[in-house]
Amino acid sequence: MASFGWKRKVGERVSKSVVQQFEAEAEKADENPAEEETDWLHAIKRRREILLEDCDAKSKRLKEEGAVLAEQGRHWEAIKKWDEAIQLTPDNPLLYEMKSQVLTILQEVFPAVKAAEMAVKLRPLWWEGWQTLGRAQLNLGEVDLALRSFQVAIHLCPSESTLWQEDLAWALKLQKQYVATKEKIRQEEETKEQILNAPELDQDYDFESDEVLAACVAVAKRQTHYEELKRTAVVIDSEGNIKNVVCGEEETEEAMPPSKEEFIKARGF
Amino acid sequence: MSTQYSILFKQEHAHDDAIWTAAWGKSEADGSETIVTGSLDDMVKVWKWSDEKLELQWTLEGHQLGVVSVDISHNGAIAASSSLDAHIRLWDLESGKQIKSMDAGPVDAWTVAFSPDSKYIATGSHLGKVNIFGVESGKKEYSLDTRGKFILSIAYSPDGKYLASGAIDGIINIFDIATGKLLHTLEGHAMPIRSLTFSPDSQLLVTASDDGYIKIYDVQHANLAGTLSGHGSWVLNVAFSPDDTHFVSSSSDKSVKVWDAGSRACINTFFDHQDQVWSVQYNSTGSKIISAGDDRAIHIYDCPM
Repeated sequence: MASFGWKRKVGERVSKSVVQQFEAEAEKADENPAEEETDWLHAIKRRREILLEDCDAKSKRLKEEGAVLAEQGRHWEAIKKWDEAIQLTPDNPLLYEMKSQVLTILQEVFPAVKAAEMAVKLRPLWWEGWQTLGRAQLNLGEVDLALRSFQVAIHLCPSESTLWQEDLAWALKLQKQYVATKEKIRQEEETKEQILNAPELDQDYDFESDEVLAACVAVAKRQTHYEELKRTAVVIDSEGNIKNVVCGEEETEEAMPPSKEEFIKARGF
Repeated sequence: MSTQYSILFKQEHAHDDAIWTAAWGKSEADGSETIVTGSLDDMVKVWKWSDEKLELQWTLEGHQLGVVSVDISHNGAIAASSSLDAHIRLWDLESGKQIKSMDAGPVDAWTVAFSPDSKYIATGSHLGKVNIFGVESGKKEYSLDTRGKFILSIAYSPDGKYLASGAIDGIINIFDIATGKLLHTLEGHAMPIRSLTFSPDSQLLVTASDDGYIKIYDVQHANLAGTLSGHGSWVLNVAFSPDDTHFVSSSSDKSVKVWDAGSRACINTFFDHQDQVWSVQYNSTGSKIISAGDDRAIHIYDCPM
């Protein structure tokens, strides 16, 4: 039996009498019959077995309770149930995946991504996990990562039409918009740069000539072009064509996925 | 010639993301060996295999989404690739230029396979149709209808008589190419069939499924000749050796297994990949095996002859 750590700590701050009393008591404890000790071990062992069973069953119950709460729109309460379940069965990917769906609804974008990442890590061949991860990443604004997740999901289960028609199509559209917006910002900055350092001003002009007039017109033109650029916004219409629309004249398209599912899919396998 | 199975070469970080597909071809013109890989990073890469190492020859850009399947024509001159962007592209392997791009329509390009005469490319579609594209015309020539579900895998028999397709619901269909008639429908597996291959003598058909099993069928009579277990997860790819004696399988359990076609026993397992192994192929003589997968690595193995 390993020696008890108290003895090594005996020093000036612990009085002799206390130490002696403690040692006497410790000896008494050692005198306990051996069979009782094994009994204890056995009991502890048995209790652990029961506990393991309980973990699974309790986690399942909590998962189902959470699903009911989520369906009723009591999202935070659902998450609390599932967190409890995760404590009991930390390797269950379904819990993380369902949690991620609800966190996405609650606009807790980063925790939603984290939870879905855990789900796909635990079950990498599960396409629904990848779909949920993709949707969470899209909410976070990570369009490229979302596109990758949706592609992995499709590769695992290409017959799932929602992946193609909603998730992939939506991510592609957002990516297109993102690229177009970036291009516009680049154009805007280029134009601004040219206004500040107009090439016409580099030249020496004979102030009597028409050249000056032409240069002024060019600079003015550029100025209006810049103003115009600033007033437009990149919009993608329903056919996926990119348009530049002057703000205020047309409502920008509502940034909502084709079918926003407020409904949580209960994972029951 | 080696006397035992061993790993010969590893190309780490061959792509920027998971490698989903690979093909090994031999040029009729100069006898050089070419490997083509396709990846989730949208790229198709062409590698030369010489002096027992891989050399990147071309990086082919064009696909807008992940590359699902690649195949090399039997004369080794052309590669075909299909992607999630629903395009099939044909590439000249000599020049690295794109020859054609065919829009297969939404969800209508999955596995691509050259016909034995390399005049056609077959690909499965989501409505259970096998579409046959002309290599020369670049158009859909005709289609074979399984009246089934999404077709994940396609294989031509080397004698050019049959075409087999494997669907996401586990159904196998075998067509007679000459008449276009559906010969057999086999309820092979209860789960998706991600790969199937004919033996070089066109007598046997080997199928790989998400149920973890490999099945062998006698093509003529459509009899089940054997069910093989050994993989711990989905079987993602199968390929027959050109000498008819062995076939190889890869799985999401990260392993590559070589099977004896006669005894149907697993004779070697490679556990060299870090992640799912999506693709496995033999070279033209059967002396080498290539595998590639989610760990972005290409592995070349030596086979005893």
